[in-house]
Amino acid sequence: MAPIVKISNLDKYFGHLHVLKNISLEVPEREVVCLIGRSGSGKSTLLRCVNFLEEPSHGSIEVAGVKVTGEMKGAQRRQLIHDVRLKTGMVFQEFNLFPHMTVLENVIEGPVTVKGMDRKIAIELAEKNLESVGLIVKKDEYPMRLSGGQKQRVAIARALTMEPKVMLFDEPTSALDPELIGEVLNVMKKVAYEGMTMIVVTHEMGFAKEVADRVIVMGDGELIEDAKPEDLFSNPKDPRTKALIDRYRTDSGN
Amino acid sequence: MNLFNKGEAPKSQAELLYAAQLRKELQFKTNVAISWAVLLVIMVFLFSGQSVTIGTTTFKTIHIDTTFILKEIDFIAGGLTETIKISILSIFLAMALALLAALGRLSTFPPIYALSTFYVSLIRGTPLYLQIFFFFLALPQLGIILSGTLAGVLALGLNYGAYMSEIFRAGLASVGKGQREAAIALGMTPTQTMRRVVLPQALRFAIPPVGNEFIAMTKDSALVSATGFVHELMWRATKVGRAQFHNLEALIMAAIFYWTMTLALTYIQSIIEKRLSKGDR
Ligand SMILES: Nc1ncnc2c1ncn2[C@@H]1O[C@H](COP(=O)(O)OP(=O)(O)OP(=O)(O)O)[C@@H](O)[C@H]1O
Ligand SMILES: [Mg+2]
Repeated sequence: MAPIVKISNLDKYFGHLHVLKNISLEVPEREVVCLIGRSGSGKSTLLRCVNFLEEPSHGSIEVAGVKVTGEMKGAQRRQLIHDVRLKTGMVFQEFNLFPHMTVLENVIEGPVTVKGMDRKIAIELAEKNLESVGLIVKKDEYPMRLSGGQKQRVAIARALTMEPKVMLFDEPTSALDPELIGEVLNVMKKVAYEGMTMIVVTHEMGFAKEVADRVIVMGDGELIEDAKPEDLFSNPKDPRTKALIDRYRTDSGN
Repeated sequence: MNLFNKGEAPKSQAELLYAAQLRKELQFKTNVAISWAVLLVIMVFLFSGQSVTIGTTTFKTIHIDTTFILKEIDFIAGGLTETIKISILSIFLAMALALLAALGRLSTFPPIYALSTFYVSLIRGTPLYLQIFFFFLALPQLGIILSGTLAGVLALGLNYGAYMSEIFRAGLASVGKGQREAAIALGMTPTQTMRRVVLPQALRFAIPPVGNEFIAMTKDSALVSATGFVHELMWRATKVGRAQFHNLEALIMAAIFYWTMTLALTYIQSIIEKRLSKGDR
């Protein structure tokens, strides 16, 4: 079976800074991949290249059969990037809900404006997803009136309502108070168990152990280790992985 | 004296301090209000035409011809609608131009960026008075004849648009990068991102300062009277004032109209601002 996400020979430079170094990665359908690594190792940049929030400097990205290569230019390229974005949902660290729209309006905005979906149908779909993240009662509130955990759950519902093939999470719980992290992780678990393909940049090792099919470690713009969580955590191969895991242990081992 | 109210728990130090501070603020506000009232009374008295004798010297306050005022008040008040009409038309033109100029400043296409900065620089570099005359007196030489009102609205709109472009620029800048990224990640085109996500937030941000500009505009609209063909407040006041040599009374009346209008608009604006600041942000 063809992978849902296929990254081939991806390079990314910020000026002279070589942030991603010839990265290739395949993620099959329904797989949950956790991406871990030191700050500055390029996790966000890699994730953001998948839906072209960052322009890759070199290499190709393929999502659900839509392939964008470095040679493509102009209108054709723009159209393909648009198609890739329709097949990916993204959840940001800072939620980025639209503050001038209610929860429900936030969630139907994509389907209605981007896909031209009938408003009634979009609302049905949105309500189903809000139900699923446990926030249907908040549908007429403005984001300002929600807690961080609630905002992030709405953001997940918003991304899901676009019916993507893969969900990208960039440290979805890092901006949250500790007591609100659990509710967001639970929603993410649910999404995973419903069969969504997910790439998750996270520091939540518990989540990685429990939910991920694969954990990938990044270091200095490269994928330095790629293994099942049970293998990676019990038997890390690379010394950088070992150091990383040890640090997480001491951070959470109180 | 009994420091504690009977039956109530003694107040904490912080509560007492807070209560004292509130009392102080209220006291200050009350005193300011009283002083305003006194100043108003003094002003009215100064224009009352009374004679006051202090010791051996007699002062005469300014005499106002009330019959003139009663006769001409309707005529001058008739200028209010024109003043408001010009201000409203001009502020809409100014908002449109300011938004375009602000968007132009964001353009990476040099001619558009240049057009925007050129417009703002030219308008801010010349007097509003000159701009009004340009539209009214200079354009006819090129065969373009505009009515006084149209010339005034164009000049005021262009002028305020240049100044207000900063407001919209700040409004656009107030919308964080994360907002655009969220829109793009949903698959929105740049136009959709602007229309659905950035502009609504930028415009909301701009409402209070645009209100200030509108209030300023109602007063600058007086300059349009210089064309001699727009029968707004100022034109009417100078017309009857000069004709009957009662400029003092006429200008005082106009001043009261402008002032009252400003106070009313400021009040309305404060209500709008309160609405915006609570609730749905
Ligand atoms: N827009 C940018 N311009 C220039 N340099 C950038 C930009 N974005 C990221 N970088 C740099 O690229 C490198 C990788 O950044 P990235 O954000 O991908 O790291 P990360 O692994 O997500 O780190 P963190 O855990 O802190 O989020 C860093 O050195 C960062 O400073
Ligand atoms: Mg990051």
